[in-house]
Amino acid sequence: MAFSENNNTGLIARLRDPSTCRQAFSEVIRQYSEPLYWQIRRMVPNHDDANDLLQNTFLKAWTSIENFRGTAKLSTWLFKIAINESITFLEKERKRNNVSIDDEATHLLHAIEADGYFDGDELQLKFRKAIAMLPEKQRLVFNMRYYDDMKYEQMSEILGTSVGALKASYHLAVKKIEQFFTESD
Amino acid sequence: MKGHDILYQIDRKSGMTVPENYFSDFNTRMASSLPEQPWEHETVKVMPRTVWQKIRPYVYMAAMFMGIWCMMNMFSLVHPGNSPAAFSDNPVLMSAINNDDFYVDYCYPVVDEDYIYDQLYEDGIDPADFI
Repeated sequence: MAFSENNNTGLIARLRDPSTCRQAFSEVIRQYSEPLYWQIRRMVPNHDDANDLLQNTFLKAWTSIENFRGTAKLSTWLFKIAINESITFLEKERKRNNVSIDDEATHLLHAIEADGYFDGDELQLKFRKAIAMLPEKQRLVFNMRYYDDMKYEQMSEILGTSVGALKASYHLAVKKIEQFFTESD
Repeated sequence: MKGHDILYQIDRKSGMTVPENYFSDFNTRMASSLPEQPWEHETVKVMPRTVWQKIRPYVYMAAMFMGIWCMMNMFSLVHPGNSPAAFSDNPVLMSAINNDDFYVDYCYPVVDEDYIYDQLYEDGIDPADFI
């Protein structure tokens, strides 16, 4: 699903007004639940984890809505929260399962195979595994660019990384996926 | 199979799915489970505008025009001669204009052109030689 930034000026104004904030936030949920879900889902192995993390993302956004000044884009702010939630979750999972960062890919591959909400073909499953083999940050960059068609400038705002580094990271991720397919053929 | 071919073949479809009506159910569930916030019931006090706040821009504008007017007057006081005066008010100029000698001395051409040509012809010089 390609991600597109909408003009949210009116929505932000209603979020700032205590009398309309709750109703406006419901609109935020409607507008962003799907792009945020897919962003999270591509980072974590299954639907249940993605569902929990999506809830946490909106809860965090709701409780800290007072801190959102409107200087950054609403989508950038929400994506930041969602990505932080995903990374924190993966770290916790590594600690809980006593898995090192090097073995995380193998752990993710097993979880992907066990995911009940997948109806893709063999090629898509293999592609998912190839992405899971990427380091965490590279995986993020690849997903944002490839699946969400996000601009490097917005990715830079969300991840706090320079555009040049992001381009290099994406290029590297593509090379690794290429290599994964070449080696497995 | 090359990696780039793969990127085109997959066509951005991950194959991942969600339960039926997941997003609509999630949106409803999430919106209704948002906890109460203390600031939600705060009413924003709108302070009424005072008379001074209402007329302030007009007062400032009037003061600006007064300032410009004072400045222009001050310049005319410092340089009173700059004000345009009638020609007839100046006695020196009037006496000079009424004096025929002044006109002949300063305004009438001192050397007449025809006079110079006549002089040249008389001396046997053709002025066309100089052109």
